[in-house]
Amino acid sequence: MKPSRLGHPNLGLGVGLRTAHFGYLLRNFPAVDWFEVISENFMDSGGRPRHVLEQIAERYPVVMHGVSLSIGSTDPLNFDYLSRLKRLADTVNARWVSDHLCWTGVASLNAHDLLPIPLNEETLAHVVKRIRTVQDYLERPLVLENPSSYVTFADSTMPEWEFLSRMAEEADCGLLLDVNNVYVSSVNHDFDPVEYVKSVPHRRVVQFHLAGHTDCGTHRIDTHDNHVIDPVWELYRLAHQCTGGAATLLEWDARIPEFPVVHAEVLKAKQYMGAALTTPAPKVQLRASDATALPHPLSYVVPEVA
Amino acid sequence: MPNLDALQRWMQSVIMNPHGVHTGVESDESRRLIDVGTAEVEDVVTRSQNLSAMERLDIYHRAYFARLVECLRDEFPVTLHALGDEAFEAFALEYLQKYPSRSYTLNLLGAHFPQFLAETRPPDEGDGPNWPDFLIDLATLELLFGEVFDGPGVEGQQLLGVEQLQALDPEQWLASRLVPVPCLRLLTLRFPVNKYYRAVRKGTEPTFPQPAATYLAVTRREYVVRHYAFPRLQHFLLSALVSGQTVGDALEMTADAAGPQLSRLPGLLHKWFRNWTAEGFFLRVEVPA
Repeated sequence: MKPSRLGHPNLGLGVGLRTAHFGYLLRNFPAVDWFEVISENFMDSGGRPRHVLEQIAERYPVVMHGVSLSIGSTDPLNFDYLSRLKRLADTVNARWVSDHLCWTGVASLNAHDLLPIPLNEETLAHVVKRIRTVQDYLERPLVLENPSSYVTFADSTMPEWEFLSRMAEEADCGLLLDVNNVYVSSVNHDFDPVEYVKSVPHRRVVQFHLAGHTDCGTHRIDTHDNHVIDPVWELYRLAHQCTGGAATLLEWDARIPEFPVVHAEVLKAKQYMGAALTTPAPKVQLRASDATALPHPLSYVVPEVA
Repeated sequence: MPNLDALQRWMQSVIMNPHGVHTGVESDESRRLIDVGTAEVEDVVTRSQNLSAMERLDIYHRAYFARLVECLRDEFPVTLHALGDEAFEAFALEYLQKYPSRSYTLNLLGAHFPQFLAETRPPDEGDGPNWPDFLIDLATLELLFGEVFDGPGVEGQQLLGVEQLQALDPEQWLASRLVPVPCLRLLTLRFPVNKYYRAVRKGTEPTFPQPAATYLAVTRREYVVRHYAFPRLQHFLLSALVSGQTVGDALEMTADAAGPQLSRLPGLLHKWFRNWTAEGFFLRVEVPA
């Protein structure tokens, strides 16, 4: 039997490393369990982002989270990208490397978005084959996240949790269960988020993501720009109970507050570990419709000029 | 049923269509991949309780353009200031159609933006540099700032000091070559966009500057980008040194280019080399054996 979390440690409660917090972190080196970095922001950096990351990696466990692997694309895998990914993972002693179950572009283009795949046998075989190739190249298991999505396909033949389960087993990879994404997609696609969380293979869940999102009235958008809402916390409680716990990371990518606010948000997770289970209400109005809401993560690093 | 490749190409074609998903679905490109019109699109993309398939596709369409325009705003904040929101967005949207991202990194998203502005500028009316040239120069400078900020640097390394130059005898000095730091870039522009950039970043509202040949050096120290404007002759000598000329050849070329400034040149050289070394422009001096 596979060890829980593929044998990875539960790193505790971490925060996504963002440039807005660089100054604060280097001045204070606060007591944070671990950091997750957007791989593409650092893999080619010869400047301050890389310098900051090296200092962080000397003091905290670091996990790498990518947005451009495009594991579901029908374009060939980009081995130049993979070589840079591998080099960075070795340099910062990344505890694991994750990305998303999605495609980001085809025909050599990159939409820089996490685009959904049809959930059927053809796609499953395609994705499993590519995960194996990537894992062989990186010489480590890949950890894949369920993205938030806004369309589903007529060609899909299975629910997302079943696709993830079969993918993880057949490719022997880990899962990054983004609890907020489960919730967002459950509203957008009219499925039960509790069934989803109960059905994924819990021993393969290496990490959780938490984030805020935007209620647009008719749908939700994964904006990473706010506090985690209560129904998502309740899903987290369930996920924690089902898995026995895993490294938990808060993402905050837009309208980013001061670091202590972000850190305090993830520390709320302690309140949801092991307490009584409450089934989340599926459609709680967070706030008024927001037509300008944009899915994240974006990963452009703004230069500092004297 | 379409295969995965056709489905992805179709969806990409639909959501990247600048005229929206209705035009995208009905476009020849999309219909060659999957021959459905807007009335039959739910044969491909399912609806939800609240949204039609077209409305759901539109979320990706709006996100594609909005998020990438947002990145371009971050990459070219002062060009955005000069153009204003509406005009910048129009340029950015057109740019994304002509130069869609082909890279895994957003750091290269704006790599062709100055070139795009040059390609789409109105015909030159022959009355010297004007507003489009100012915008092209400004975008060129902002792009360069981004490259220098995150490119290779020399933080933590010992750089060339003026005392090392002073220790050379005259013969060694003239035969030597100065090795620039990898983050040093030199450029010549038609407008003093460096001053405009600095003024906007300070929160002031500078007016559109008059054209003036502008000779710049851009480098990075302690992970922060620095930029310097020089007189033409100083920039000329620096360019010759950076291009790999020996000090002797570079000085000779500079003397030839000095014109009426020739008599002042010897007095200026000492100050120039002192300033360049103080600003960390050179890694080391290579003296032939």
